[in-house]
Amino acid sequence: MIRVALLDDHPALRAGLTTVLQAEPGLVPVGAAGDAAAFWPMLHRTRPDLVLLDYHVPGDSTLALCHELKSRPTAPAVVMYSAYADASLGVLARLAGADGVVHKGARAPELFETLRRIHAGEQLLPPLSPSAIAEVAGEVDADDRPLIGLLLHGTPTREIAEVLHQDPKTVRRRIDGLLRDLAREPVLPTA
Amino acid sequence: MSSTIIRGGVPSLRLPPSATASAAGPGEASDRAQATRHAARPAADHSWFALFALTRIGAVLAAVALLIADAATVGDLGLAAVASGWACATIVAYALRPALQGKLVAWVLDAAAVLALIAASGDWRSAVYLLALTALIFPATARSPSLALAFGVGFTAAYGALAAAAEGGLHWASTAGLETFVAHLLVPLLVVVALAYAAALMRRLRAEQARGNALAVEAERRRIGRELHDSAKQRVHAAGLVLSSLDPAPAVRQATDELECAVADMDASVADPGLPQQERTLSAQLTERVRQLDAVADATVTLEGAAPELPPAVTSDVYRIAAEALTNAARHARASRIETVVAVDDGDLCLTVRDDGRGLPPTVRPGTQGLRSMRARARALGADLRIVGGRGGAGTVVELRVPR
Repeated sequence: MIRVALLDDHPALRAGLTTVLQAEPGLVPVGAAGDAAAFWPMLHRTRPDLVLLDYHVPGDSTLALCHELKSRPTAPAVVMYSAYADASLGVLARLAGADGVVHKGARAPELFETLRRIHAGEQLLPPLSPSAIAEVAGEVDADDRPLIGLLLHGTPTREIAEVLHQDPKTVRRRIDGLLRDLAREPVLPTA
Repeated sequence: MSSTIIRGGVPSLRLPPSATASAAGPGEASDRAQATRHAARPAADHSWFALFALTRIGAVLAAVALLIADAATVGDLGLAAVASGWACATIVAYALRPALQGKLVAWVLDAAAVLALIAASGDWRSAVYLLALTALIFPATARSPSLALAFGVGFTAAYGALAAAAEGGLHWASTAGLETFVAHLLVPLLVVVALAYAAALMRRLRAEQARGNALAVEAERRRIGRELHDSAKQRVHAAGLVLSSLDPAPAVRQATDELECAVADMDASVADPGLPQQERTLSAQLTERVRQLDAVADATVTLEGAAPELPPAVTSDVYRIAAEALTNAARHARASRIETVVAVDDGDLCLTVRDDGRGLPPTVRPGTQGLRSMRARARALGADLRIVGGRGGAGTVVELRVPR
C-alpha cells in the first residue's frame, strides 16, 4: 500500500487525482494541499510514502519545497507533476532532489506504474543532456555553479558544506535561493 | 541544436520572432507597430489636407474681398478670378491624388503659381499673400523637417527677390515699410517651422500609440495564455486522467485522444497568437516553418512537394503533427539534414519527415508529450502515423498518411 499526498493548486486536478488514486488498488490518497502553507501541516498529519508535487504552484517555489522535503531524515519519495516537459526539467528536478517526473498528460495506468516504480526505489527522471545543464548553469551566478555540479551529483547538503567550507545552514539557504531563482514563471510552450 | 530553456524549464528552440511565444514579443510588436504606422499615414495626410483646404479657401475669399473692395479695376477682377481658379484646382488635385501631397514637383509648381500671382498683383504687400502662405502646408508637413525648412528658406528667398524686383522696389526709406517687409519675409519661415514641428510631434504620437497598442495586445495574449495554463488546461488534464483510469472502451479512448488534442491545441494557439492558421494553406504554413527551422537549426531543413486543398481542421492537425516532427528532429536528432516531403498518393495525403540523426532513444523518456500528441492527433484524423527510428546514423522517419 503506497500512501500518496498531493500538492496542486488546481482543485480539479486534486479531485481528479484523488478519485483515480482511490480507485486503484495499492495506492491510497492520504491528503491534498493547494499551496505550500497547507502542505506542511498535511504532510505532518499524514506522513505519506510518496508526494506528488505540481511543478508550477503560483507564488511558491516547488523546487525549493522539494529540496527541503528531501533533506529531511525521513523523506518521502517525491514526484514532480508537470504540464511542461523538456530537457531542463530533468536538470531542475535533479537539483531539487526529486525521484521522478510525470507529465500531467500521462494516462492513469502510466501514472500508477511510475508511482509504483518510484516507491520501489527507482529514479524516473528525464535524461540529462549537457546542453540542458549548460543552459541551467547559464541562468545562475558564477558563485552558484559549483553548487549545481554538487547537487546534480546527488551530494548531501552536509557534504556540500564541507567541500565549500561553509556552515550547513548557509549552504541550505544558498540552495534554497538558487532553486527559487530557477523556478520562475514559466514561459508559454512553443508550438 | 539550440535546445534551450528560457526561464524555469519550458522547451523552446530559438526561433525568429513570431515563431515562438517567448520570442514573439518585441519582433511582432514592431511588425504590428509598422503596420499600424503605414495605416496611419493617410489619416495624418487627411488632417493636413483639411487644414490646407480650409486655409486656402479662407485666403482666397479674403483676397477676392480685398481686391474688389478697394476700387476694383479689370486687372483686379482678373487676378481674383485666376486666384480663385488656382485655389479650387489645387484643392481638387490634392484631394483626388493624395500622393501629390508628398511630391516636391507639386509643391514647387504651387509655390511658383502663387508667387506669380503676387508678381501679377504688382505689389509684394499683395492681397494674395495669405494664399501664397498656404502653399507651405504640405512642404512643411508631408516629409522630413529638414526638407520642410529647406523649402521654407527657398520660398522666402524667392519671395524676397520678387519683392525687390517688383515695380516700385522696396520702401527702405521708411521704418514702417522696412518693418512690414521683414514681417512678410519672416512669416513663411515661422509657418514652416511651426507646422514641421507639429507634424513631427504627430508622427511620434502615432508611433507611440501603435507601440502601446502592440504591447497591450502582447500583454493580453500572455494573460490569456497564463489563464489557459493555470485553469483550463489543468481541468482538461484532470478530466483526461479520470477518463484514462476507466476501461479502455473505444469511446473512452476516443474521448481521451480528443482531450490530449485539446491540450496540444491550447499550447499551439497560445504559441502562435493571432495567426489565422485555419485560413492559411498547409503548404504555406509548412514552407514558413521549414524556413524558420532552416535558419536556426544546425541541420539543413528542406521541403518538397505541395499539399492539396484540405479542410481547415485537417490542415491544422496535419500541420501540427508535421511541426512537432520537425521540431523534434531539429532539437533532439543531431541531424545534418531534415527532409520534409508532401505528396498525394492515390488521393491520400502523404507527409514524410526524415532526418539522418541519431534515431529515437531506446526508451521513451518519462514526460515526453510530443510523440503522444502526434499519435493522438493522427487517431483523431483517422490517419495512419508511423514513426520509425533507426540507430547509429540511420535517422528517424515520421510518415503520416491522411485518407481522402
